[in-house]
Amino acid sequence: MPELSVILAGFGDALAPINLLFILFGVALGQFVGAVPGIGPVMATAIAIPFTFGMHPLTGIAFLVGVNKGGLVGGAIPAVLLNTPGTPDAAATALDGYPLAKQGKPLKATKMALFASITGDTFSDIVLITVSAPMAILALRMGPVEVLGLMLLAFAVIAGLMGQSLVKGVVAIALGLMAAMVGTDPEHGSPRLIFGNYELYDGLPLASVAIGMLAISELLKRLSETRGTVRPAITLPRNQPRADRSVSWAEYWGCRFTMLRGAVIGTILGALPGIGSTAAAFMSYASARQASKEPESFGKGSLHGIAASESANSSVMGANMIPMLTLGIPGSVSAALIISAFMIHGIQPGPFLFSQQGQLVYGLFGAMIIANLINLWVGQLGLRFWVRVVSAPEPFIFASALLMCFVGVALASGGLFGIGVMLVFALLAYVMSAFGISVVVFIIAFFLGPRLEISLSQTLALLNGQPQKLLDYPFALVLMALALVTAVALARRRDTESETR
Amino acid sequence: MQAKTSDRLLGLFLILLGVAFFASIIPWQAQAADYGWLKPRTLPRILAVVLGLCGLALFIRPPGDVRPGRFYWARAMLFAGVLVLGLAAMSWLGFVLVAPPMALVLMWLAHERRPLWLMLGAAGMPAAIWFTVAVLLDRPLP
Repeated sequence: MPELSVILAGFGDALAPINLLFILFGVALGQFVGAVPGIGPVMATAIAIPFTFGMHPLTGIAFLVGVNKGGLVGGAIPAVLLNTPGTPDAAATALDGYPLAKQGKPLKATKMALFASITGDTFSDIVLITVSAPMAILALRMGPVEVLGLMLLAFAVIAGLMGQSLVKGVVAIALGLMAAMVGTDPEHGSPRLIFGNYELYDGLPLASVAIGMLAISELLKRLSETRGTVRPAITLPRNQPRADRSVSWAEYWGCRFTMLRGAVIGTILGALPGIGSTAAAFMSYASARQASKEPESFGKGSLHGIAASESANSSVMGANMIPMLTLGIPGSVSAALIISAFMIHGIQPGPFLFSQQGQLVYGLFGAMIIANLINLWVGQLGLRFWVRVVSAPEPFIFASALLMCFVGVALASGGLFGIGVMLVFALLAYVMSAFGISVVVFIIAFFLGPRLEISLSQTLALLNGQPQKLLDYPFALVLMALALVTAVALARRRDTESETR
Repeated sequence: MQAKTSDRLLGLFLILLGVAFFASIIPWQAQAADYGWLKPRTLPRILAVVLGLCGLALFIRPPGDVRPGRFYWARAMLFAGVLVLGLAAMSWLGFVLVAPPMALVLMWLAHERRPLWLMLGAAGMPAAIWFTVAVLLDRPLP
């Protein structure tokens, strides 16, 4: 643990005007770029890295952190206002954000997303600052068997989102996992289901699948529903009461346990390399729905639904830094990009970072907290702008969103092939929606599929055909038991609900 | 179409899809391996069986919870066709030349007739995207 003087000096560095200016610039850039479907915080961070070459290390890294945090808030904007999430982790926010926006309360929906995002982010930053070292050691103990347990638990929790028909929910999971099988087999390294197309060697591009299924299919549906009269994409009622434009303290405080649960889920998953914010957002959303006294309000514009997903997906950001700073292991693509920025400036993240560069690390922590405050301020201003933008006519907004999706996916997946994949999956999602198969469950299964297969393969190798060896992994057993209990509880609840209907 | 009939058709399709995957696509597209714990064909084949069984369940007991007939299929396919054509044209001519007419056609088909909005969508937005991506961010457009 560094001395108090080092900690204070670090926090003082973060308050230097040049650092504050670049954090502000980073947050504003991140929010703007994050709101463009397909670009998102990862792409925004990658684009911003070359601009940091000439900067002081703290200024450069604080700028990147600002871009990343701004991108997380920006990603929720198209999800809430147009039901076209720009990134998969914002898809959970759209489940309740968009219905609330459609009720004429777009500002309330986006503000709840902003407040929950900042709350979750700040929670994970505090965890990072206070207990990062023990958290990292705990995360390192999560081997393949424990990760398999966690994956099973994730699938059990997410099963709560399957909709009315259990069979169709299983179909969505099976199709999503089948799509995840495309690419190189993790154990043998042989290509699988690529149909001779070597652009699929690394699997289907996530951005193409997610944006195609979540954004393009929704835009196609909305465009197909347009009739002779042109309407605004979002209607802002005149003389709207203040209660419909803002989130009151009572409403925010009423969601405190939902946000806390989301932040804890996001922080735990964020500390584990490779799981990411999408799983966290959906797990938090599904568990909030299960814990709610009014589960039927979810999907109809519930503030708890927005709070659950946004607090979880944003808390992943701070938690990703835990293995990165303490062990030098990036927990996500964003963290890997920030690690590369550290290395460009001649700093090696890892166990010695706190002792050798304590002032810089605490400067970074200070910058993260400041970035949260700036995110809140810039977000309040920016949301009004975006709500005004989407009150333009539907044809203009939808055509513009389609063009942005084309560009965003081309940038994220490296060209026109990615756009082709996006269109194929958009049509698949349209057909799936028409037949009542959950697109969201498909996406989660697709997203978790590769991780599930790798951990299953590694677990089988570790057990070496002796199932009793599972007893050597008590934590994994606890997770698997939790998965079983969750699945049984969900099945019982489903039975009760169907009897009520 | 009745909701239950459409679910039965979906069930039939899933049975055929499961069989096709199990018997034809997976053996053709995934290599056989005689070592290791999780072979390349294992998980896809399990999923194919699950799909087939779910199809059978839908065929026997259709839930009838949705009506695909409520979707505007023809108009959706029309818009999808514009996007596919736009993508094909982009591979020849590039985003800068294709985006304005594509946006114009999309807006026209969505019943927008006001010249100002058509101009903004067909010229203003592509220009803004070009400026942001190609000039400000220095990234290549498709």
